[in-house]
Amino acid sequence: MSAPVWARRRAAAAQVWQRFRTNRGGLFGAAFIALLVAFSLLAPLLIDQDGLDVVRATGGSLEPPSGEYWLGTDESGRSVLLLTLWGARVSLLVGFAATLLSVVVGTLVGVVSAHFGGWVSAVLMRITDFFLVLPALVLAAVLMAVLPKSMWTVIMAIGITSWPTTARLVRAQTLAVESRPYIERSRALGGGHGHIVGKHVLPSVLPLVFANTTLVVGGSIIAESTLAFLGMSGPEISWGSMLDRANQSGAVTAGAWWYLLPPGVAIVLVVLSFTLVGRALETVLDPRLKGDR
Amino acid sequence: MTSLLELQDLGVTYRTGEGDLEAVRGVDLTLQPGETLGIAGESGSGKSTVVASVLRLLPKSATVTGRVLLDGEDVGAMRWGRLRAARWSEASVVFQGAMHALNPVQRIGRQIAEPLRLHTGASETEIDARVRELLEQVDLPAAKARAYPHELSGGQKQRVMIAMALACDPRLVIADEPTTALDVIVQAQVLDLLGRLVAERGIGLVFITHDLSVLAATCSRIAVMYQGRIVETGDAKDVITAPRHEHTQALAAAFPEVGDPASRYAPATSEPLPQEGERDPQQPVLLSARELRVHFRDRTGTTVAAVDGVDLDVRRDEIVALVGQSGSGKTTLARTLLGLQRPTSGEVHYDGRPVPTSSSGLRDYRRHVQLVLQDPSSALNPRHTVYESVAEGPRIHRLGGDEHDLVVAALEAAELRPAAQYLTRLPHELSGGQRQRVVIAGALALNPSVLVADEPVASLDASVRGEILGLLLRLRRQLGLAGLVITHDLGLAWNIADRVAVMYRGELVEVGPVDQVLLEPNHEYTKALLAALPSPGPDDARYTG
Repeated sequence: MSAPVWARRRAAAAQVWQRFRTNRGGLFGAAFIALLVAFSLLAPLLIDQDGLDVVRATGGSLEPPSGEYWLGTDESGRSVLLLTLWGARVSLLVGFAATLLSVVVGTLVGVVSAHFGGWVSAVLMRITDFFLVLPALVLAAVLMAVLPKSMWTVIMAIGITSWPTTARLVRAQTLAVESRPYIERSRALGGGHGHIVGKHVLPSVLPLVFANTTLVVGGSIIAESTLAFLGMSGPEISWGSMLDRANQSGAVTAGAWWYLLPPGVAIVLVVLSFTLVGRALETVLDPRLKGDR
Repeated sequence: MTSLLELQDLGVTYRTGEGDLEAVRGVDLTLQPGETLGIAGESGSGKSTVVASVLRLLPKSATVTGRVLLDGEDVGAMRWGRLRAARWSEASVVFQGAMHALNPVQRIGRQIAEPLRLHTGASETEIDARVRELLEQVDLPAAKARAYPHELSGGQKQRVMIAMALACDPRLVIADEPTTALDVIVQAQVLDLLGRLVAERGIGLVFITHDLSVLAATCSRIAVMYQGRIVETGDAKDVITAPRHEHTQALAAAFPEVGDPASRYAPATSEPLPQEGERDPQQPVLLSARELRVHFRDRTGTTVAAVDGVDLDVRRDEIVALVGQSGSGKTTLARTLLGLQRPTSGEVHYDGRPVPTSSSGLRDYRRHVQLVLQDPSSALNPRHTVYESVAEGPRIHRLGGDEHDLVVAALEAAELRPAAQYLTRLPHELSGGQRQRVVIAGALALNPSVLVADEPVASLDASVRGEILGLLLRLRRQLGLAGLVITHDLGLAWNIADRVAVMYRGELVEVGPVDQVLLEPNHEYTKALLAALPSPGPDDARYTG
């Protein structure tokens, strides 16, 4: 029984990949992300972590790019290139973890609210509205103030403020699916809530959630950078905290462009890549968005 | 005299991803002023493509060969400006689905005036006068010009569509399935109106439908299309009473005449029906409704009684047809019987016991009473194979035994043979009739004793209709399966039902054996329903050009 099902799913995935491949922007984004993820996972093996330690740093303060330090050094004499590469780890981790949190909560709230309707939906949607109108940065700042300063608090702060959009999207999609007659048929066959949600609703909602997820990752990375730039982050090295320190140490007035540009460009590239992949996936998975035809 | 419309060797080919598709092949037709031509055919026979080619409304992927002459002028050779003028002022179209063809946020009057503004230089007062005149012609009060589409009934909307088509005094009107979505009574009114306009104003009318009996009532000539070709053409009476091509015969047989003994218990099916066995007239009552009421509250807070005190019994080994027009509460009654809708008051009994309201009790109940929906293309999850769709019920109920055998047996019972060939197919790879069989197989897999079918053939092609009805009748005769068939089609009741219940505004106004209710109706509403049936009787070809 399950053999043809898996064969069909494989065929469907192959088809999605076929169509995805024709989107050049999406392909570029996917390649860049894959490269960066692979590098971030292997970074502890490739990078000598001594170079990241303020005490053991060998360079001078704010040295311009040279043969030894390709992207110059920071105010404590560490290589900006090393810092930028290492920063990818935190930025990606925060991006993915916050997205996971936001997507899980959003999908759950969206599906439950659309499936049960009535007062359940009313209550859940009012809660969603509440979080939707909260100024995300202010909420995150408050959370950072009351909770211990760590990367996980950042993840939670971003996750809590970004799930409402996912919930809205999932709810709309679920409502569309639930109005189809095959749901009524399934109910008449005796299918309970779990059966209908698991067998009919989720399989047709998840592809869109997946496309949305890639877009949320980009947003989360920006949020993390913003928080870190405002000084609200853990002690870990991230692109946002690099920009923060560059600002604090007077790199701007010193004209140390090599300290500001690398983390900034890295943020732009990563977010752009995720957005390109997300948009490409949306077009592939949602036939209504196809431009021509 | 030049013909109003002349098609010469018309061919239309669509370019698709899977090669070229010849939608229309070598069609020749002529229409004189004051004449009504009917084009009959199933979905996919190319009849709508012919219409679109007359006004060059085809998509870019279509290639047209042959010639279309409108009043002697070649439509294909018209410049853009000339074509624009020809659309609406010389030939106009009444599209199918009046529900969707009107703009919901514009008043009716404005929409009727749109072609006038575009095609004539009339002043505002002239346009207002013309709109009033048009509404009068289609039997609508002039005050309706200020109404929005949702404030009108289906029949009124269809009449607005006709008024729009007549706005610029066209000489040719093409009506593409103008009555498909309408009830019999409203359909009769619309047909009457179209016929009167042809007679009074000498316009030419091309009437397209899949329902031969409608054509019989309106048209002087009929052309039958099949797979892009015209397979039979001739005088309306001849085509209907003595069809020559086998496809025409199938179409004609699909819409039986109520009262014709030849079609009683004899839907047009290719498989032989089993002989009627000994029937015990006192079979036990399986499903019954007692004083059932379902009330809804609409947006304004007014309570609407969708089902208003209904008593109905369905016995073992009988098919009950529930007939009535849309909005009469038929579907709400069915959903309540299935436990999908809670009654406001009253009770539903199954096998002598009230239907449980707890979720586990309802689940058990659904093993016995199953549902077949109207539109099989949306009643199946497009991502599930036939196997998964049929196995869904047994999996929910954790039926014992070999699942594969169960599914195959259910498919065989629904006459999808050989079953193995269908197991891995997806709904979009099946035809409409096959999909409906899969839905029925899914219900049969639970081995129910009552099947509730909501308009089971309304969205199927004429030739498939008889096959599905035959299946329902065979299931009753072979398995003793009881059926409650909801329909607006009295011919269906005549074809397969034992008893008929007529529903009107939430109440059952007449219940009894088919022969009695349909041949000697008592209630005024039943009489009105029967009188509105388009009749192909010899003296009744009302509108000969």
